[in-house]
Amino acid sequence: MARKKKKTEEPGKEKTDDVIEDFDEDFEIDFEEDLDLEEELDLLDTEDIKAGIEVKEEIIDKDEERKQLYLSCGIHIGTKLLTGDARRFFYRQTNYGLYVIDLTKTDERLKIAAKFLSKFVEEGSDRVIVTSIRRYGKEPVKKFCEVLGCRAITERFIPGSLTNPIIDTYIKDASVVVIVDPHADKVILHEAKLARIPVVSLFDTDDTLDGIDLAIPANNRGKKALGLAFYLLARQIMLELGKISSEDEFPHTLEEFTSKIVPVYRQEESR
Amino acid sequence: MSSLRKNTCSGCGRPIAPFEAAVHFPCPECGDVTIWRCERCREMGKTYRCLKCEFEGP
Repeated sequence: MARKKKKTEEPGKEKTDDVIEDFDEDFEIDFEEDLDLEEELDLLDTEDIKAGIEVKEEIIDKDEERKQLYLSCGIHIGTKLLTGDARRFFYRQTNYGLYVIDLTKTDERLKIAAKFLSKFVEEGSDRVIVTSIRRYGKEPVKKFCEVLGCRAITERFIPGSLTNPIIDTYIKDASVVVIVDPHADKVILHEAKLARIPVVSLFDTDDTLDGIDLAIPANNRGKKALGLAFYLLARQIMLELGKISSEDEFPHTLEEFTSKIVPVYRQEESR
Repeated sequence: MSSLRKNTCSGCGRPIAPFEAAVHFPCPECGDVTIWRCERCREMGKTYRCLKCEFEGP
């Protein structure tokens, strides 16, 4: 039986050899064709690849620049207190005991807040109220409102301005309120709650989310940090509204947004 | 009888009463969905979530 099997296998082998030869020929032809195609593709793609690399490098540079700007202005530096609400934005604790805010979340929230505020600014910029009781926040708020045409409140907020229609300072159609510090601006925060107005706020590590509808994790005590936060917000809103096509076209500088007040200890040092 | 359509809170899912100091605004990220927050959720700073883009706030 084994012999018979061997005999039957021999013509089969010849057939398989023919098939393999045909396959090899086809493969060689295909391979040559592939090579030609590859060469052509390489010639075509080299420029595109280079262009892609350049674009990527530019993006990396812009991200690094932005990161350096954040770090230089100290927008990431929090306080020695950490509330339960601030845990989601917290990055680490320094050796001095200060809590550091996560910069990626700051960047992300700044863009989201700009998108959110741009809708209200588009409907009517007078109806957007921006307040700051803090000294370092007054000039950034004024400049922000000058750029976008919003209503700035930098002096004492008169109680009832959002709820009492009898008084002269009553603001009729407020659509959104932007505050710098939930602790310092608690009067307007309370009134916005009663008047059913959404609130956007800068949020430090020692603040709570009571009454806030959109928080932007950032240092709200530093002079440079406040200036940078409002500068970036204004620029991003202008981009969202389509008034500028790129970030470089924004006509104002960061120095215009930062407060010019010199701290008391610096004044004493200069004497 | 005409049926009343009640808005529900995006944080706790409770229907919002008309006398409540609730607030509503478009979703900060996508802008398509209207987010409602009841008085209690606002006071306590409870998180809300957009149904479309799953943005979590405040």
